[in-house]
Amino acid sequence: MTPVLEFRNVSRSYKKGVPVLKGVSFSVGEGEIAGLLGRNAAGKTTLIHTAMGLLTPDGGSVRVFGLSPTEHPVEVKRRIGFVSEEQVLPPGSTVAELIAFHRYLFASWDEGLERQLLERFALARGSKIGKLSKGQARQAALVCAVCHRPELLLLDEPAGGLDAVARREFLETSIQLSNREGTAILFSSHHMTDVERIGGRVILLDEGKVRLDRDLDRIREDICIAVVPRASAPDAAAIERTTGCLRVRLVLDDWHAVMEGTPESARQALEESLGADGIRCVRVPLEEWFIEMVGGER
Amino acid sequence: MYFAVNPSDELPLYRQIMRQIVEAIAGGRLKSGDRVASHRELSEQLVVAPLTVKKAYDELEALGYIETQRGRGTFVCDNPPPADLERVRRDARKLLSEAYLSGLDFGEVVKVLKEADREISRGPRREKEKV
Repeated sequence: MTPVLEFRNVSRSYKKGVPVLKGVSFSVGEGEIAGLLGRNAAGKTTLIHTAMGLLTPDGGSVRVFGLSPTEHPVEVKRRIGFVSEEQVLPPGSTVAELIAFHRYLFASWDEGLERQLLERFALARGSKIGKLSKGQARQAALVCAVCHRPELLLLDEPAGGLDAVARREFLETSIQLSNREGTAILFSSHHMTDVERIGGRVILLDEGKVRLDRDLDRIREDICIAVVPRASAPDAAAIERTTGCLRVRLVLDDWHAVMEGTPESARQALEESLGADGIRCVRVPLEEWFIEMVGGER
Repeated sequence: MYFAVNPSDELPLYRQIMRQIVEAIAGGRLKSGDRVASHRELSEQLVVAPLTVKKAYDELEALGYIETQRGRGTFVCDNPPPADLERVRRDARKLLSEAYLSGLDFGEVVKVLKEADREISRGPRREKEKV
């Protein structure tokens, strides 16, 4: 089966030749919900823009429904929904005008869904976009992005700046769409609890590359953090040589290592390779794992 | 039936869902033949990915707790898998030794067990969820 979205060795530099994406490969299947994680400037937005056809990769290829988004922009955009934190909506238009514009663009527009969402979000058709709160404006953008019932939803930090209630409503709508239409979703977010809630799979971008691509459950069950007293290892490399070690950094007086395996198996592996004891291994929530994977101080 | 998940919990979401359904069956809140929400319904209720709920249901089905009848829905099985009594005894010893090591006495362990019994037979409390 053709994946809904496929990045193959995608590279892209800024205008001044600074590389942002350095060979990114992964794909998203039908009905799949994948969370794209990474620090600011890791390349998340650039990557999503290549899928939208807003940017052409310098190398590699992007395929959406098997098509190149730059060569078949109309066909691809008709089947995609897109919401971004940076999206600028026309402030002088009303909600009704904004929606009418999108309805005109898409033959598959679902007016029932439009009414249902406006009601759920309590968005008045007559409101001027410029007068809406941040959360309401994002909800208006979501209505425009999903009422043509896209097969792929690209969400670039969609919950940025929203309060907890607005974020939850946004997630609820995304889940419903995935459930009822089988929509695949790729979303970037800095809200780890949101990712844990709706993401089935996590793709971690770091310095323009995929550092890890794995089911969320597998991260929860098969990855742990080891805390090794500083004196137990001469340097980071000694720990990195241990089988299953994904990353090491120094935090105050301890080495923190991200390890594959259960806490028990990781502790054994480290004790054997370092010949030391006093190593503690724990399972951690996604946020801690993320910080250990890409946080500073190596 | 009220279920809730906590993304910050150590258990993956699908395991949290499995645990709550097994507890509901064990506590008699779900009886054999009862219909349980479809994985899509529960996914929308909990606001978690449909595939996560499906994974929990698939595992529960493989273990013999629930069964899906095509076109009719998902139901609690007539004979849920019997507990392994030897394992229950082993777990009881483990529970007691951990409790004693944390300074609880037998009476306090009984209190903890009663509280757990209440939760299993009445379901989780509807606490305001942290977002």
